[in-house]
Amino acid sequence: MSAFRYLIIKEMKQFNSNRFMPFVLVLLPVVLMLFVPLLANMEIRNVRLTIVDHDRSATSSLLVDRILQSDYFKSAGYRDSYSQAMDDMGMGRTDIIMEIPADMEKRIGRGEQVGIFIAANAVNSTKGSIGGGYLSSIVSDFSAGLAENSGGRVEMPLVVTPQFRYNPHLDYKLFMVPAMMIVVIVLIGGFFATMSIVTEKETGTIEQINVSPVRKRDFIFSKVVFYGFLGIIAFTLAFLIGHFVYGLAPHGGLPELYVGAILFLIFMAGFGLLISNYSDTLLQSVFLMLFFVLVFMLMSGIFTPVSSMETWAQYLTYFLPTTYFVNILRAVCLKGSQFQDLAFNYIMLSVFAVLINIIAIVTYRKQK
Amino acid sequence: MDSIRVKRLKKGYGRGLPPAVDIREGFSVSEGELFGIIGPDGAGKTTLFRLLTTLISPDEGDAVVQGLDIIRDYRKLRTIIGYMPGRFSLYPDLSVRENLDFFASVFGTSIKENYHLIEDIYCRLEPFADRKAGNLSGGMKQKLALCCTLIHSPEVLFLDEPTTGVDPSSRREFWETLARLRRTGMTIVVSTAYMDEANRCDRVAMMRSGRFLKVDTPSDIVAGFDRRLLAVRSDEMFRLLQDLRSMEEVVKCYTFGDTHHVVLKENAACAPDEIGHRLTGKYGHTGVQVREQAATLEDCYMNLDD
Repeated sequence: MSAFRYLIIKEMKQFNSNRFMPFVLVLLPVVLMLFVPLLANMEIRNVRLTIVDHDRSATSSLLVDRILQSDYFKSAGYRDSYSQAMDDMGMGRTDIIMEIPADMEKRIGRGEQVGIFIAANAVNSTKGSIGGGYLSSIVSDFSAGLAENSGGRVEMPLVVTPQFRYNPHLDYKLFMVPAMMIVVIVLIGGFFATMSIVTEKETGTIEQINVSPVRKRDFIFSKVVFYGFLGIIAFTLAFLIGHFVYGLAPHGGLPELYVGAILFLIFMAGFGLLISNYSDTLLQSVFLMLFFVLVFMLMSGIFTPVSSMETWAQYLTYFLPTTYFVNILRAVCLKGSQFQDLAFNYIMLSVFAVLINIIAIVTYRKQK
Repeated sequence: MDSIRVKRLKKGYGRGLPPAVDIREGFSVSEGELFGIIGPDGAGKTTLFRLLTTLISPDEGDAVVQGLDIIRDYRKLRTIIGYMPGRFSLYPDLSVRENLDFFASVFGTSIKENYHLIEDIYCRLEPFADRKAGNLSGGMKQKLALCCTLIHSPEVLFLDEPTTGVDPSSRREFWETLARLRRTGMTIVVSTAYMDEANRCDRVAMMRSGRFLKVDTPSDIVAGFDRRLLAVRSDEMFRLLQDLRSMEEVVKCYTFGDTHHVVLKENAACAPDEIGHRLTGKYGHTGVQVREQAATLEDCYMNLDD
């Protein structure tokens, strides 16, 4: 029997004998995928809107009606002046003020562009910015409607904000689901393997292996393969939920997803090995891992868009492999992108995977 | 023929610290010998074991086990040695049988092939074959560890404090097993903290601060004890210890069972009775008994540092 085979069998037995681990393997993707996107939802409803209508025309009341018809906004009343409305906001009675300038209807009639002023309370910044975003998109919708009615005399009489492509309703769930798929891979592919190596260090079993003819290479490789395999299982489970529950990746793109996932798993395995090289106890390794994983997750645009980061932070994201993997996942799941569209991301992910494994192997060798 | 031959061996952990093992005089263990190592905690016993079993490489050194260099031929060496560390280090989440199976396949053998070696230990474990190794009692764990170490029929066996924390009857059984293994021609190196166990070894090395201070048969070590030794008792044992230590003829005094053993200076010519009189008279002890005492291995061990 080859060394690799009985090492894998041993890993399997150990994994099975643990009452907890197989459970986690299934529960983790299910809970993360089913509940977190629903709970950690940044969709905003019932944003309170105060209207300062200086125009008081048919058009302005039509616009207000349109806005209030949507689920997102509810009226917090009309005010005669902006300063009165600001007082409301100061008292916390309203979230967003929309000020419609005087003579809006007339100016639209003359073919001029009219600016509508929106002030959002940014104390709750997500509510403010996302609410503001919704409002802009409703106004531009309305504006487009006006343009049609005017028979194309004026294009877009009201100031237009860009559309939200691929996630037109800013559906945060679609943003969250690929993020959760990454979390699943990080936790299972990265944490499990590291913890298993360090546990062997802690219990001293690694010494028993070291005094035996088993090569260290085989020993480490068996762990990487076994936990990589578990990572793929968990990823598949997460993908199936994403596909059937959230309608993700309607265009397929399975090869793109799995090549990305495998590259990322190779990276995580190398990274886990690197961590285990520098930690003697489980506690140490988990904290080290947690530290880096948090950096990977929070700074690479998994949960927050890279485009909204500071410029220097945007450059920083180029050094985080998760950035490329999340790009791949989002592009494939939401846009149906293919290999050639994402070549840069795949190349960068491969570079990271190779580099980290070289570092891991070199530092591993130096230990003895 | 020599099974283990060490010319010199040095290993330190970090700068500024004295080396954990620093053997300069060299020693050898012949084939089929039961070789014991005794020494206080921190003497470097475990480090020595880890060096000889190729787990760590020496800073400098020249050592051969079964004709194989511990640095150059470490890969070949690993197939013919068995090492049982002081700490239980089998997979606690695998069952007794799974552990044994695994270590058998690690060495490319099977339980069946070498069952004769472990038979008399394993038969005790058999009822618990499906129990997780982590849930075994201390003695059972040691038995399993020994089984796993023996399963590939090693030529040299290294046992690092195998009976620490094991009950007396299990200890006796364990040593009977060792004696039986020795008869099969296996070389066994064992470290221990128990003097009765050291007495059962063919030869004993006394180790301190990384050095072997004395390597000899237990009886020769005892015979080589050249100080006068007294055993002293009185009704107030604790005060007696202080008082004995304050006497100028006394080099050393330590408790030994229910008496105190007193090592006298070489030129001190005082008789046991004289000490006894002084204790009753000057120090006011009652029930004083003083007699000459023949040295034991433990006395030799206690007087290692000079």
